[in-house]
Amino acid sequence: MRRDWKFYSQLGLTIVLCLFIVVPVVMSALAGVTVNVFKGLSSGLTLRWVFEVWDLYAQSILLSLGIAMACLVVTLLAGVPLAYVLVRRPSRMMRLFEELLTLPVAIPGLALALALLITYGGVSGYRSSWLFILTGHVLFTLPFMVRSVAAVMAAMDMKMLEEGAASLGAGFWRRFFGVIVPNAKPGILAGALMVVTLSIGEFNLTWMLHTPLTKTLPVGLADAYASMRLEIGSAYTLIFFVLIMPLLIAMQALADRGKRASRRIDTAEDTL
Amino acid sequence: MSTQIRLRNCAKTFADGTRALAPFDLTIEGGETIVLLGPSGCGKTTILRMIAGLEFSDAGGVISFDGDDVTRQSIEKRRVGMVFQSYALFPNMTVAENVAYGLKVHGVPGKERDARVDAMLEMMHIDMLADRRIDQLSGGQRQRVALARAIAVQPRVLLLDEPLTALDAKLRVRLRTEINALLRKLGITAVYVTHDQEEAMALGDRIVVMQKGEIAQIGTPREIYRKPQNPFVADFVGAANRMTGQMRDGRLHIGAHVFDAVDAFDPRHGAIIDQGAVELYFRADGLSPCDLDEAHFTGRVEAVSYLGERLRLTVSGIGPQAVTIDTHADDVIETGADVHCRVNADRLTVFPAVAAHS
Repeated sequence: MRRDWKFYSQLGLTIVLCLFIVVPVVMSALAGVTVNVFKGLSSGLTLRWVFEVWDLYAQSILLSLGIAMACLVVTLLAGVPLAYVLVRRPSRMMRLFEELLTLPVAIPGLALALALLITYGGVSGYRSSWLFILTGHVLFTLPFMVRSVAAVMAAMDMKMLEEGAASLGAGFWRRFFGVIVPNAKPGILAGALMVVTLSIGEFNLTWMLHTPLTKTLPVGLADAYASMRLEIGSAYTLIFFVLIMPLLIAMQALADRGKRASRRIDTAEDTL
Repeated sequence: MSTQIRLRNCAKTFADGTRALAPFDLTIEGGETIVLLGPSGCGKTTILRMIAGLEFSDAGGVISFDGDDVTRQSIEKRRVGMVFQSYALFPNMTVAENVAYGLKVHGVPGKERDARVDAMLEMMHIDMLADRRIDQLSGGQRQRVALARAIAVQPRVLLLDEPLTALDAKLRVRLRTEINALLRKLGITAVYVTHDQEEAMALGDRIVVMQKGEIAQIGTPREIYRKPQNPFVADFVGAANRMTGQMRDGRLHIGAHVFDAVDAFDPRHGAIIDQGAVELYFRADGLSPCDLDEAHFTGRVEAVSYLGERLRLTVSGIGPQAVTIDTHADDVIETGADVHCRVNADRLTVFPAVAAHS
């Protein structure tokens, strides 16, 4: 096939647009390992800034990871049963509750944080602990977990699967953990990755809720850009990338696997 | 060995006040296969789910298995095997794991469990599929797995809810034959729900025909087919042709013709219909085409359909509605032609006319 000028002009435009997005990422990453950004790459490459970030902000980074994990545990414990009830016993009350649950996603994080501060700001032990930030993160991420799990549950005819299991003698807990949860796994995994990613990256809620002793990774990043050398802020971004990219890739891979599995059904042949 | 099931005074009214089932009694003998037959919404599935323990009877109803009252028992405790129209197999498990599930729940130890699973798979001719995932199976294979899984736990009763409805016609007949052989071999008490008359005839020791939440007739396939007890059953099992007539002194008058050899016993009233207006239900063999000089009636052919071994005519002018009549496949008959036919009086089912006894 002969490619005419239209093809090449479109290709050119695509490349330019991609570069427009990719170049700042590369520049930022490079800035994090350059000796002196203002002199450019000629000043040489170094890992010094990365180590310096680690020295300064290791606690924020670890705290973020800790909060993300705690957030995951809470959203799993609350979200999976909640999704089950929403799908299994739908009613007007339940729908209303689901809308209510989704509200924190629609409200600006700052407003949500303000509400938390007004209500619980006076409880000093709670206000100053990381649990306060965890509360905000759970409010914000729970709907994502519930939606993700509920979508998979709604597609699998739980009522019939449960009736099948019950006819074989399985009680509720056995059915829930042996049949419902394993079959909801794609939704649970997708929800889990979403929750962890959102929690690690959450800024505007957390910025309002944090104290100097409970700084999370993104709050630390803002702090680094505001008060440190540009190289340190950039090196910080680099660390952030390294943490978040595998999660995003895993999320994509999971979505692909879900699609492949559903396609396989059509290929089964009726031989018996 | 096999379990007798008794339902006494069971009824079902749903929360919104709709009556799904009027109070009824039903006894299913040990080892018997009962087919619940009826159009959708007639309550047949509700009865099955009541026996399973997935629905509970209104107050006053009692269900017992071999004399044990199970009315308030949940499905987990009843030891019933269920086979669903849409299989209800666990997608997170392989074929073998699906069959092993119930055994695991019942605490059957590993070695014995494996042996039982193998035996089940072999019996259903799916031993080569043991390690497959459910989404790699065809519909027919899935229903075999579902049967193996239900039977593996040696249930007291096997409940089958339209198990063949989702399959294509050829496979349906084949699996039906196999299920029939399986039920005889196991000698298990079975309840089978279907809306397909042919399936019911082929599988049932007895058939329960349901109509709008009530039992319209219980009987062997032969009784249901030959002696439907009311117009609904007659119509549902294929005797959809209708004529009207008069009984006078035990003889049937249709128009100017008189017939002697008519079975005019009315089972609902336990008496022979002697006098009065009657409705006559019959299949395509109730009338046969003949020459003009032997004919009782002459009608007009409205439609002709070729069924291979015979020709089916839709004829107007004989009953209140058009009737169907079969003739030789080789006959050449055009739409719009006249057709002469005789009444085969022994093929008619006689009911009192609705107006006469209401």
